[in-house]
Amino acid sequence: MRRRILLILVAATLVTVVPATAASAHGEKSQEGFLRMRTVGWTDVHFSGDTVQQGQTVTVTGTVKIMDAWPSSLAKGQPNTCFMSMIAPGPVIVLKERTINGESMPTRIDCTKGRAYDFSMTFAGRRVGRWHIHPAFAVKGAGTLIGPGAWINVQENPAGFTNEATLLGGKTVNLENYQLPFIWIWLTLTFIIGMVWMIYWTVPKRTIAHLAVTSQIPLNTDGAAYGLITKKDHRNSTIMMLATVVLLGAGWIYQLANFPTKIPQQIIQFAPANIPRPAPFVTLEAGKGKAIYDASKKQVILETTATNTGKQPAQLAQFAVADLTWYNQAVPAAKPSGPQAVDTSYPMTVQSDTIAPGATQSVTITMPSDIWIHQERLLPIGESQLTVTGLLRFQTPNGDKTDVEVDEPLTPTAFTT
Amino acid sequence: MAVDAKTLELRELMLKKYRYIDRKWDLVFWVTAAFVVGAAADITKQLFAGDWDFWTDWKDRQWWPIITPFAIIIIGSALQYIQWLAWRFPTGMTYTAVSFWLCTLVGRWLQWGAFVYYPMNFVWPATMVAAAIFADWVLLKTRGSFILTSIIGSGLFTIAWWVSNYIPLAGLLQPAVWMDRVVTLADVQGIEYVRSQTPEYLRIIEHGSLRTFLGETQYVAFAFGATVTVIGYWVGQAIARGLAIWPIGRFLKKW
Repeated sequence: MRRRILLILVAATLVTVVPATAASAHGEKSQEGFLRMRTVGWTDVHFSGDTVQQGQTVTVTGTVKIMDAWPSSLAKGQPNTCFMSMIAPGPVIVLKERTINGESMPTRIDCTKGRAYDFSMTFAGRRVGRWHIHPAFAVKGAGTLIGPGAWINVQENPAGFTNEATLLGGKTVNLENYQLPFIWIWLTLTFIIGMVWMIYWTVPKRTIAHLAVTSQIPLNTDGAAYGLITKKDHRNSTIMMLATVVLLGAGWIYQLANFPTKIPQQIIQFAPANIPRPAPFVTLEAGKGKAIYDASKKQVILETTATNTGKQPAQLAQFAVADLTWYNQAVPAAKPSGPQAVDTSYPMTVQSDTIAPGATQSVTITMPSDIWIHQERLLPIGESQLTVTGLLRFQTPNGDKTDVEVDEPLTPTAFTT
Repeated sequence: MAVDAKTLELRELMLKKYRYIDRKWDLVFWVTAAFVVGAAADITKQLFAGDWDFWTDWKDRQWWPIITPFAIIIIGSALQYIQWLAWRFPTGMTYTAVSFWLCTLVGRWLQWGAFVYYPMNFVWPATMVAAAIFADWVLLKTRGSFILTSIIGSGLFTIAWWVSNYIPLAGLLQPAVWMDRVVTLADVQGIEYVRSQTPEYLRIIEHGSLRTFLGETQYVAFAFGATVTVIGYWVGQAIARGLAIWPIGRFLKKW
């Protein structure tokens, strides 16, 4: 019977563990669609490579915009503290450089709704394997908003991996194991002294014999008269305590002598310079657009009215929504080079994609709903904010580009998928 | 000096041999209880002071010395009461400390090191062993005065805890250069070893005022830490007396 139970337990464990595949995503699609669309928009995200050795670097660049449509329910509608980082399955990469609008960004920044931030993050491969890596933009009061991810292969470096850091005096140290031997020795020494204390008290003295006596005497007495605690115990304990003092003293002198200059952990927060951007040459007419989810045709349709205020024809090239970028296949150069490009098997069709200078016209984009619903979980039906929000990119024949935010109410023809 | 009969009786009781509950029982008990005690202490610490213990860039001079001693003294205080009451062993705090450190070490090494691959010099667990010895010593010297132990012992505990953990941290507080900024090596660890879903603005360090003490923010933190640790000590005492000993007394009228 026992053997049978044991076999069942082993089988149950194997059944749950063996078929499990490695987790390879970061839950970006578990965030609600409105959260991903209305908070930040990602454009021009580009990874400089996809295969590196340990220690070699990859740089990811792009632009992230805090949308004007930022939900009032997050960060009280006014994001003000932000942070950028990489999302990875643990420290499989190390972040070596990070800039925001051209300035180095060690920690957090002041941020403002409606502003766009050009970022650059350089990371080095650390752990061998194939990892899905995303840039991420975190906003206090809202959480971390994940950008387009890419697979990065980190290959073994025959020379091994070191992570050099430079001290202010110029000396370099390997952060992978700097001070680690001393830390282990120190923690072990303190552990040993604790074990000496424990062994002294618990090995020669029997708990049961003591309990028979302590149950008959008051709490605030050491029971010296009965042999519970003797003068020798007091003396030896004081010696052990003094040995601890000596150990701490020796450690203190060691750190003073070896690390005379120390500073507290730093808090760095600044407002990055606002990069002047060209004035947009396309504007959208407020209140004249809409988004439709056509459940029967399995399409998501975005209609908007746009005015070209520039001097050249403006053609719709891309529609960036959350961490995806749809592109106009009539414009070959419009396909993004980064991981956010929607697969060509899910084409976006655009009616009247070019607006003459000075003209106002309706622009309609049609996209297959499958990718919105099943692949990306982005269509916000069933959520508390039925809108489609993103960035429409228009470009001119001479290469000028402008990103215009679109935020239209969504009307589903049915709440079925 | 004449010795009364009761004293003689208790002295003889100390020497009595037991057949079933003796040295082997003690060994089994101390070893198996270590897992429970260590786990309880680790969970309590993680609930109150987890992040400050996990990362070197959280081990600051303001919040770390206030919150962590409070968190880690609770279970140690409970064990102090139990072990003194039951056996007159001034070992409760130290027993908790060594069990706790072993549990934390195994967890940190396996989960954070082997499984997720953080370098151990970034996520090494703090130790409370040296601090615990002082607290147990005070209990012994005051002959079981929990009031004096809570005041004197907690104060010594806080300072000894900070000293014993500042020593391994010191090397990581050296100024370093990251891009064009001067930060500590601990800050560089925090920047470079990415922690997904943990934006830096969540880091509660160097946060708050009380900086009018000629730059000696640290010593103000000790004073607050020692005070808060006294409270933690009595939380532990309440746990031991109310949740451990009192229920036993309800069912056992006689040992």
